[in-house]
Amino acid sequence: MAGAISRVYQNIFRRTSTFILAAVGGAFMFERGFDLLTEGIYDNINQGKLWKHVKHRYGQASLEDEEEE
Amino acid sequence: MLSYLSRSAHLAPALKSTAQAVANGTKNIIPGVYEGVVVELVQPPPKALTAYTMAKRCATGPVRASAGIAVSSQVRYAHTDIQVPDFSDYRRDDVKDSRAKSSVESASSRRSFTYMVVGGGVVTGLYTAKSIVTQFVSSMSASADVLALAKIEIKLDDIPEGKSVTFKWRGKPLFVKHRTDEEIETETSVDVGSLRDPEADSVRCQDPKWLVVVGVCTHLGCVPIADAGDFGGYYCPCHGSHYDSSGRIRKGPAPLNLEVPTYVFPEDGVLLVG
Repeated sequence: MAGAISRVYQNIFRRTSTFILAAVGGAFMFERGFDLLTEGIYDNINQGKLWKHVKHRYGQASLEDEEEE
Repeated sequence: MLSYLSRSAHLAPALKSTAQAVANGTKNIIPGVYEGVVVELVQPPPKALTAYTMAKRCATGPVRASAGIAVSSQVRYAHTDIQVPDFSDYRRDDVKDSRAKSSVESASSRRSFTYMVVGGGVVTGLYTAKSIVTQFVSSMSASADVLALAKIEIKLDDIPEGKSVTFKWRGKPLFVKHRTDEEIETETSVDVGSLRDPEADSVRCQDPKWLVVVGVCTHLGCVPIADAGDFGGYYCPCHGSHYDSSGRIRKGPAPLNLEVPTYVFPEDGVLLVG
């Protein structure tokens, strides 16, 4: 554990260039994860209210109407 | 009397014990006589609660007291009663006991923690900055309803072969021409190098049967007349610019070909412009 930490320090944190690189790369991954998480929470709270949750009902109905016509 | 007391300031207690006080020459004070009860007015030393009051208790300036046989005595203050502050709450676990081991061994892990905190701040800061910038930039682009209104859908079955039909699109005339096979052949066989604004017919038409151009003359913005002119395409009556069946300038003052908007054929017989 301590060896891994010191290796991370030696290879990434010690030099400013690698530190910035790691921060930017981490920001990309963080963005993806954070967006997925918050979207999931939002969808979970609004379960059954969003268009993508009720779309199949209306899509089916409108298709049937077209067939009737 | 009153004047003497007020002027002598802190010397007053000392002077009060004498029968007669004589002022020094610098101050012109009337000597006063006091024959009352002598009151001890020495202030007790302050309680040593803070660094300031502690310093107050220390002897400052030259020490007057001297004792001993031919040697001067010293006054030493051994502050054994003062507690050394305990900072262990603020120390990292690795360096709690300063005598146990060298702090060099744990330096990388301690610094890693500090840099990790800073790095986490940088990551979240970058994410926040990117989100804000994206929000502001996307607010500048047209919204979906505006974009939907800015498109027109044309049913191509209504346009007979060899005819050019004019539509209104974003406040401008739009020419859609259903070209005949002869026209297609004529336009594709034109030597591109001989044109004023060299553009091949295949570049201007996605489907060779359909020509879609904005009906605004590139000279001064008049609306050309369809199916007219020397080249069988469009003719601008204002200054006599002749365009061919591919909307390219062939004769007259206009410098550029008629503009081709972005369009797609989403399905057979339907044209979507915009």
